[in-house]
Amino acid sequence: MPSSTTEKTRSGRVPGARAALIWGVIATVLVTVATVGVFLVAPEDADQGVIQRIFYFHVAIALVSLVAFAVACVAGILYLRTRSARWDDVGDAAIRLGMLFSVLVVITGSIWAKASWGTWWVWTDPRLVTYLIVVLIYAAYFVLRSSVDDDRRMRYAAIYAIAGFASVPLSFYSVRVANSFVHPVVFTRGGAAMPGSMLFWFVVSVAAMLALFIALLEVELIGRRTERALRRVALALENA
Amino acid sequence: MSTATNHPRWTRQLGGLVRKDLRLELRTKETVVAMVLFAVITLTIMQFGFGTRDDDLTRFTGGLMWVTLAFTAVLGVGRSYVAEREQRVLDGLLVSPIPRVVLLAAKAIAIVIYMTIVEVVVIPLVGIFFVKGAYWDSIGWIALVALLANVCIALSGTLFSGLALFTRARDLILPVLFLPALVPVVIAGAGATHAVVAGANDMADYRGYCLFLVGYAILFLLVCVATYDAVFDD
Amino acid sequence: MPDLLVSARGVVHAYGDRRAVSHVDLDVAVGERVAIAGPNGAGKSTLLRMVATLLRPRAGSLTVLGEEVPKGARRARMGIGYLAHDPLAYLDLSPRQNLQLYADLYGVPDAAGRIDDLLDRVDLTARAEDPVRVLSRGMSQRLALARMLLHRPQLLLLDEPHASLDASGTALLDAELGAARADGRGAVIVTHEVERIAQVADRLVVMRAGRVVADEPVAGRGPAEIRARYEQAIA
Repeated sequence: MPSSTTEKTRSGRVPGARAALIWGVIATVLVTVATVGVFLVAPEDADQGVIQRIFYFHVAIALVSLVAFAVACVAGILYLRTRSARWDDVGDAAIRLGMLFSVLVVITGSIWAKASWGTWWVWTDPRLVTYLIVVLIYAAYFVLRSSVDDDRRMRYAAIYAIAGFASVPLSFYSVRVANSFVHPVVFTRGGAAMPGSMLFWFVVSVAAMLALFIALLEVELIGRRTERALRRVALALENA
Repeated sequence: MSTATNHPRWTRQLGGLVRKDLRLELRTKETVVAMVLFAVITLTIMQFGFGTRDDDLTRFTGGLMWVTLAFTAVLGVGRSYVAEREQRVLDGLLVSPIPRVVLLAAKAIAIVIYMTIVEVVVIPLVGIFFVKGAYWDSIGWIALVALLANVCIALSGTLFSGLALFTRARDLILPVLFLPALVPVVIAGAGATHAVVAGANDMADYRGYCLFLVGYAILFLLVCVATYDAVFDD
Repeated sequence: MPDLLVSARGVVHAYGDRRAVSHVDLDVAVGERVAIAGPNGAGKSTLLRMVATLLRPRAGSLTVLGEEVPKGARRARMGIGYLAHDPLAYLDLSPRQNLQLYADLYGVPDAAGRIDDLLDRVDLTARAEDPVRVLSRGMSQRLALARMLLHRPQLLLLDEPHASLDASGTALLDAELGAARADGRGAVIVTHEVERIAQVADRLVVMRAGRVVADEPVAGRGPAEIRARYEQAIA
């Protein structure tokens, strides 16, 4: 089986370790900057309070989880084309991280709802509701993966990664459309009206979450590649 | 040479498969009868769930109808490959020169037919059970939404039932895979129904929801065509 | 038309990590009938299913009826006839209805006439309208035979055919295999019944643990000699 990691393993280094390290450093720096910036430096919204600032991360994490699922969808397409296990590694890791981030979206969203409206849940926040659906969509991915035998697992995971990602915009749009008919007033979350300094810290938090995602992805991939290499060795010994 | 050198026309293959599914259903009547019965029971349970505290459930019409239809759809879709599975005939289909997409289309057409039969019962029944006010004038509009939704249900349902086919605990896996994907259909269906029932003649809303369903169908059609080969490609 | 109906080089198939077929080479020439024998778990059925394009090789190359698998699998399927343990028929439909379905799937011209003809040959005309569910095992396997031959396939792939066919079915199959030689068709027969091979095959391939351990002509050899050769190969 072709492997791009054999040269590195020969020299004793863990495959992908350098990339993970670099991104880990970048992520740590950006997350620190973002946290400090968002909670201390960014202008405070008059009647909102400190907890409100979680909103920056709430949206950033939401965006990055979408990126994760998009990566998984592309990885799924590439797996079906090439049938190379590398793409299954990427897709599976991306979905795990996307799930983690999506759950965080729901949690941070709930905290923000409590701070804004006094309740831990609202059905009127399209983002919160949509991410609940997204969590359910991708939870099904794990159920599917564990219920299918080895020979079909990667293939079906790839197909579901594609189908699930198609469900995401459909869920978004339908929740939004339904909401707008019931609550015609659009909640201003500062879209285009966001003052420059807020926008800056918003962008910083997105960059931080993105770097974090990439770093975690690299770490996950190291684990999988190593496992795969070990399995190859074991098989070679068995079949010899 | 003894081989037929021409490719069989897909219309003939599709017709043969649909005819086979309908013949099987006519002979056994297992699926459609159970679906209709299930839908009626669900509507009744809904009444007991909501109606004991509230005399007038008119404003829940859309929701009641579409929740019922969604769960009935899961039941029907779960039966999609039952004959092939229990009677081990799938190999016969897979070794024949049908494009896998034709198999998808045949199963989807069967689902549309079954759901339509269920709706012929459910749509009037919902009016009789729950609606106080104008309803029968809007039946045409409701039927149109139902038809669009059936196509959406058939496309995503057939994809997920294909995936569930080779899983352990497939009767449990299918709802887990399928229901999240049905959420947008329920939202749109209930919304559109709500927009035309009990005097609310909100045609702009109705149109928006219908267009959404068309978009859903197109998107899932693309996903199916792109991935259906891989479902059976062992 | 190529000379080789089947050409496999180094094909591999695995269920997860477990290798079922390991670097197998196999050729089937026009007019040739190849028997594949071996102990349980040798990978014979898996190899047959790969040739039938039901399974995709994980590695190696496989060409069936001139088409590279899996890319050209759909074209290859036009000329493949497959007989397995299960009759591949819908139990709640009649033999005629089942054959009608397959005639549509394969685009068989003059389907009605061909179906009547085959039902007659497998001696099922009397029961042609009864649901397959009420037929005996032997009868449903005869139906399977009819299904296999319906579209006049050039390559016959048989998985332990003699295990489930009754006497008249066996006679019909043997006659068909006998004619295959002259017609320029080919066959691959997976079998446990090593003694039978002499009657129906030109070549014997022996598999053990996913690999081919013997591949030689057996035309003209007696059953005892073939059995001895087989035992020697799997030792």
